[in-house]
Amino acid sequence: MSRATATEDVPLSQRIAESPRPALLWVLVLAALVAVEFGALATALLDVLATLLDEAPLGDPGVGGLEAAANAATELPTLLSREVIPNQGYRTSANGPWTGTFLGLEPKHAWLLRVTLVYAYAFAFLGWLLYGYQVFRKHYRYADWTPRDDILARLRTHRWGQFGLVVVVSFFVLAIFAPALGPTTVEQNIQDPYSNEIQYFDEDTGSVTTVLVGQANIQSASDGAGASNVQPWEYDDFGRFHPFGTLPTPGKDLFTFIAAGSRISLFIALTAISLASIIAAGFGLLTAYYKGLADLAVVVTSDSVQSVPPLILLLLVAVAFRGHWLQTIYNGALLIALAFAFTYWPALWRAVRGPAFQIAEREWIDAARSYGQRPRATMRKHMLPYIAGYLIIYASLSIGGIIIATAALAFLGLGITAPTPEWGRAIDMGQRLVATDAGHVSLIPGILIVLVVTGFNALGDGVRDALDPQSEASGGSGDEIAAASGGGG
Amino acid sequence: MSRWSYFAKRLVLSVPVLLFGTSLVFIIIRLGPIDPVSAILGQNPDPRAYNNIAVQLGLQTPGGEPVPIWRQYIDYMTDLLTFDLGQSWVIKPSTGVYSIIASRAPQTIWLGFWSVLIALFIGIPLGFYAGLNPNTWSDYTASFGGIVWRAMPNFWLAVILVSVLSQSENFLFGFDWQSFVTETNVVTSPSLGFLTDPGQFVANPGPTFEEFVAATKQILPAALVLGSASMGNEMRIGRTAVLETINSDYVETAKAKGLPPRSIVWKHVFRNALIPLVPIITAEAFVLIGGSVLVETVFAINGIGKLFYEAILNGDIPLVGSLTFFFIILTLSLNILQDFLYTVIDPRVGYESD
Repeated sequence: MSRATATEDVPLSQRIAESPRPALLWVLVLAALVAVEFGALATALLDVLATLLDEAPLGDPGVGGLEAAANAATELPTLLSREVIPNQGYRTSANGPWTGTFLGLEPKHAWLLRVTLVYAYAFAFLGWLLYGYQVFRKHYRYADWTPRDDILARLRTHRWGQFGLVVVVSFFVLAIFAPALGPTTVEQNIQDPYSNEIQYFDEDTGSVTTVLVGQANIQSASDGAGASNVQPWEYDDFGRFHPFGTLPTPGKDLFTFIAAGSRISLFIALTAISLASIIAAGFGLLTAYYKGLADLAVVVTSDSVQSVPPLILLLLVAVAFRGHWLQTIYNGALLIALAFAFTYWPALWRAVRGPAFQIAEREWIDAARSYGQRPRATMRKHMLPYIAGYLIIYASLSIGGIIIATAALAFLGLGITAPTPEWGRAIDMGQRLVATDAGHVSLIPGILIVLVVTGFNALGDGVRDALDPQSEASGGSGDEIAAASGGGG
Repeated sequence: MSRWSYFAKRLVLSVPVLLFGTSLVFIIIRLGPIDPVSAILGQNPDPRAYNNIAVQLGLQTPGGEPVPIWRQYIDYMTDLLTFDLGQSWVIKPSTGVYSIIASRAPQTIWLGFWSVLIALFIGIPLGFYAGLNPNTWSDYTASFGGIVWRAMPNFWLAVILVSVLSQSENFLFGFDWQSFVTETNVVTSPSLGFLTDPGQFVANPGPTFEEFVAATKQILPAALVLGSASMGNEMRIGRTAVLETINSDYVETAKAKGLPPRSIVWKHVFRNALIPLVPIITAEAFVLIGGSVLVETVFAINGIGKLFYEAILNGDIPLVGSLTFFFIILTLSLNILQDFLYTVIDPRVGYESD
């Protein structure tokens, strides 16, 4: 897009060197954004590296060194962490001041402050990206106008799509910053509640007492009957704040559970949809380029995959691979993601098949062929860019379906294994409690799923209208079916 | 290509699809990591019982030699394609799959029937109404409601509905669902004697009719949940379809020649707007097959979906395989039905570039 005629074609680096100020400013903002979160970033990177090396049978020293580095990185300053803005503390006397929390604030307020900062940071990052595009457009791009500008301009007036974008970004932030967002940690509250202790002010004895997290959890579980229910936005008897209340016995914190669960849902959804998109794009290009027998073979294959209802196929895979090594990677998330990719590619391929066939009929494909360009290069350079838009639209429309189906599997007790948090399992735990004082256990995860799925659908609508303004006029009844619906689960 | 040769082509194509789909199931349950015999017997099986079942499943020869996988595949395919579905091992030992399906199917059919009906009679009129009154508040309400309604996970909606209806007098301003019309429970299987024996309506009208009413009432909440996604889809597509047809030239012509609005709407708009709804209605059936697993589990309806789930949980792999084959057949029949309906309704089928 930014490349103009050959005479004035200087590389981007040279253009930046000629007037470095705007680009420098942009990089400085990035540096500031990275600096405050450097510790978290480094830890995450090294952790991923260590896990990857762990899977590959390499020498021990590499892994050990990386793990040590990752541990060292946790010591690096990170602004948006629970260490800098702690929300867990205790009172020293009845109605006395709080100890251990940020600036002695109430845990509720300390937690709120951290959440607000995290979200402000995330949206600042988003703004930085947009700002970068504008800097590039204003200072470094030759063309005054490209079609991409129109796409952005159309999104700018698309309120429904923007709503979707905000919801989707919030969901991503919840997943990415899950450890910093929860009022407590997965390790302390969900995985090893009996190896961790907290302190609280015991009103009966009038002194600060130490208690095991597991015991405190049991006494603040939401079981419907009885008086111990901790509802959303309430403190339990141990001075712990629960933004979403607690789960039934053993009484874990629902917000921490949901934040951790969103990570695994997002991982499954993104892995599955990327794999499915790659398969769909590959087959879409091949069938459109070669037509005939290649097309027929993929039609039969995709119809065969689709002839088994998706949920049935997922249940089948979940039970067939029980105990298999694939099921141990990331608590079975990888296996589920692969199963989803396998069930979702036919629909995506169907979505791009029509457009790909239309592109393959264009003169430039014919020209490339007679010019002697290799089929692979033709497909990649002259066909792929045209179908990529359709893929993005359909992918974002079907991602919600994957999130619902993952939750459905967990609800049925298959898929992601306990105790790893998954939204569907929370709904299952609260199944019998909906009409009691512990109704939040089922209601909150369900409402969040509806919100996230609606968000992805809205974003998909927005992207579709932005990429292809004619789609509304020419009647896209086909892609409305593609939008995720609760039917899958 | 004429309409009927297009239809014939689709019909022929479904044969390899059936073969491939069935092979897929074979690959998962026979080549996958699961051992069907251990799944049936549980941990530490008695070796004699193990060999016995392995022989009966066709995994071993009576001499104790493992049967080669290609031999297993051929046996498996011939059994299924000659509709020999075998028997259940765990859920109802030594019972033929046919008789299990026959005893469970009425519940699922009853559920499916009502969920299609509810979705059709709420979704389409709402969509058409929204399309005929575009960009009004009622349109916005209907459209937004449809979007949210559709995004609700079936299992969650079912959980909520069960709780609300079980204690409806506390939530619905004193309206008591359980004693409404006839006394029923929310989480239960309807009794469907009248489905298998319709003659009862004549021979014994009073009690049979009561049973019919009770069964309908019991199935309605589950059917509403199962039909929810389709209802939203039908509404959205119906709205778009009406909007499209209402702006088309032939409607303009009809208006110009002075046709009364009522006859324009009924004769020209509705009939054409129904075409894009055909795939939605048949696609609904796919949702029903998968969704019935969840909805039947939550509402404790003893249908095929719940049967499949129980078979999966209890390791009744032969039954799971046969049921999946049954689902594949069902899906393919629905595909063919959809193509048939298309061919009959829309004369353009087969002439467009596919």
